Amino acid sequence: MSTTTMTIVAVTTSLSEDSTTLKLTDRILASATSAGESVGIEVNTEVINIRDLATALSDMTLTGFRSEALEAAFAAVVEADAVVSVAPVYKVAPVGLHTLFWQLIDEKALARTPVLIASTGGTPRHSLAGESVLRPMLAYLKGVVVPTTVFAATDDWGSSEGGRALSARIRQAAEEVVSLTATLIGAGKGDLAEVADPETSDAQFASGEGAGRARGAGQDGRVGRGGGIVDEFDPANVTPFAQLLEG
Amino acid sequence: MEFGIFTIGDVTSDPTDGTTVSEHQRIKNTVEIAKKVEEVGLDVFATGQHHNPPFVAPANPPVLLANIAAQTQRLQLSTATTLITTTDPVRIAEDYSYAQHLSDGRISLIMGRGNTGPVYPWFGKDIRAGVPLAVENYNLLYRLWREKNLDWEGKFRTPLNGFTVTPTPLDEVPPFVWHGSIRSPEIAEQAAYYGDGFFHNNIFWPTSHTARMVQLYRQRYEYYGHGKASQAIVGLGGQVFMRKNSQDAVREFRPYFDNAPVYGHGPSLEDFSTQTPLTVGSPQQVIERTLSFRDWAGDYQRQLFLIDHAGLPQKTVLEQLDLLGEEVIPVLREEFAKGRPADVPDAPTHESLVIRHREGRDPIPGGGEGSRAFEDRQARASEAAKEGAEQS
Repeated sequence: MSTTTMTIVAVTTSLSEDSTTLKLTDRILASATSAGESVGIEVNTEVINIRDLATALSDMTLTGFRSEALEAAFAAVVEADAVVSVAPVYKVAPVGLHTLFWQLIDEKALARTPVLIASTGGTPRHSLAGESVLRPMLAYLKGVVVPTTVFAATDDWGSSEGGRALSARIRQAAEEVVSLTATLIGAGKGDLAEVADPETSDAQFASGEGAGRARGAGQDGRVGRGGGIVDEFDPANVTPFAQLLEG
Repeated sequence: MEFGIFTIGDVTSDPTDGTTVSEHQRIKNTVEIAKKVEEVGLDVFATGQHHNPPFVAPANPPVLLANIAAQTQRLQLSTATTLITTTDPVRIAEDYSYAQHLSDGRISLIMGRGNTGPVYPWFGKDIRAGVPLAVENYNLLYRLWREKNLDWEGKFRTPLNGFTVTPTPLDEVPPFVWHGSIRSPEIAEQAAYYGDGFFHNNIFWPTSHTARMVQLYRQRYEYYGHGKASQAIVGLGGQVFMRKNSQDAVREFRPYFDNAPVYGHGPSLEDFSTQTPLTVGSPQQVIERTLSFRDWAGDYQRQLFLIDHAGLPQKTVLEQLDLLGEEVIPVLREEFAKGRPADVPDAPTHESLVIRHREGRDPIPGGGEGSRAFEDRQARASEAAKEGAEQS
């Protein structure tokens, strides 16, 4: 594979500074970065801490109103090549603040986007919370959730044995997400070449025609990455009214 | 540019003393507000359409608008909105046409779909078909106002054979139509297609979003050949509460904000003021905020303010109108006129639409000769003909 880049966005609910959730996030991103490097992929990472959006999420729940920071976070997730979800587990489910983010984001926000689920908790008894709660939720958003999830309990940080097991699991999950993302990026570009016939596509955009047949094929090649979301307010993507009239 | 107010007719308890006006009183208050709008020198009174409590905005707005028309001389009377999805287009055509005659052409409409799911089935409709209903119903309304002996068949209503609306629109010029939508690009596209106005009720939305919707409409308006993007007909909402001293305004309005049905118990007044057009403060702050809309929306034609909701006492609402009329609107008129290009049209009136009609300059739906839409259609047709020839 030729040199390419991918962006991984971590959606992390870190409730205190220097939390284990944040530590786990950093380790997963570092592991993904090195997994990318080993196959010639430059991995850019970004961390969104849901704690900073707590009030915005509750406001949106009550009023439907999205703050600019929340809009920016949603957009970052949509544009990401891959997403890592990291949250502490409370009462056998990821903390409600974290799931609220996924419950309020747009449908299909994760389309064609590989997702890695990671959780932290006090005891290993919480270890399936990510599987049972988040996997179906993220699949509903059309995310491609990789098989390996990461769970880190207090034990994993405390003993060298636990630490080794956690490291192995992080490496495994990070490799899965990076290789799946690389595959999807490659496939996405192929799709783009097919959709956007170079002979016609430029002329079409230059003429400003909002043609249905160009749906999804933005000029800057936004397709292929998070390909389920199309910028519906871009005149190039609008469905011509004649089509709406025909039903 | 025209300035006015729009009301949803909510019957809400006053959180400061727990009192609630009766429906009867709220309706009478609404008429009093409308008369005051004219008295203080604003241009437009606009009412919502509602079918469910706690709102007493009329189910059929022409009833209210005709009553106000009889008590005013020059006030423009609008809806905000007319439910194009659940109201029979034939009745819209007839009732608004009638009100247009009664008011000597002072009627305009903002079309909206309505976002209350249960309302649709009360009228035999389904909210899931909201956009197709808006598309088909408006197309029928458009034709009803322009064609006699209409034969028509569609999905959502019984067919019409040889139907003619009575009364026909005043001077054969239908009331001006705005299409209102908060987040559906289809509706911005619809407004552009017909060369109608586009109204974005931005009171719960960040500027960045509203700007994109307006830009989409403007560009498509140009594409359909109705004029330059800068000449498209744009309307915006706004929400204000004023006192001479801005601290007084905040102190007085806060309980109404904190308990308002829509956003109460949610974001703080300060956050909401930053993120949406809500302006609570002095008349000068309202002036500055409203003038800033032009920075992202371009020169526009209609500005409506929400001032009478959340249980505010009638006396307070009338005081707000005094402040708007005395201190805000005169300055806005002057400032908005500065630097406004000569080729940007004013808000359409019946008089301007009659002139346009007589000069043969009515917009051609979908774009007439010379428009990019027309050229694209030609190109597609010749391409299809070529393909057809190759295949045979």
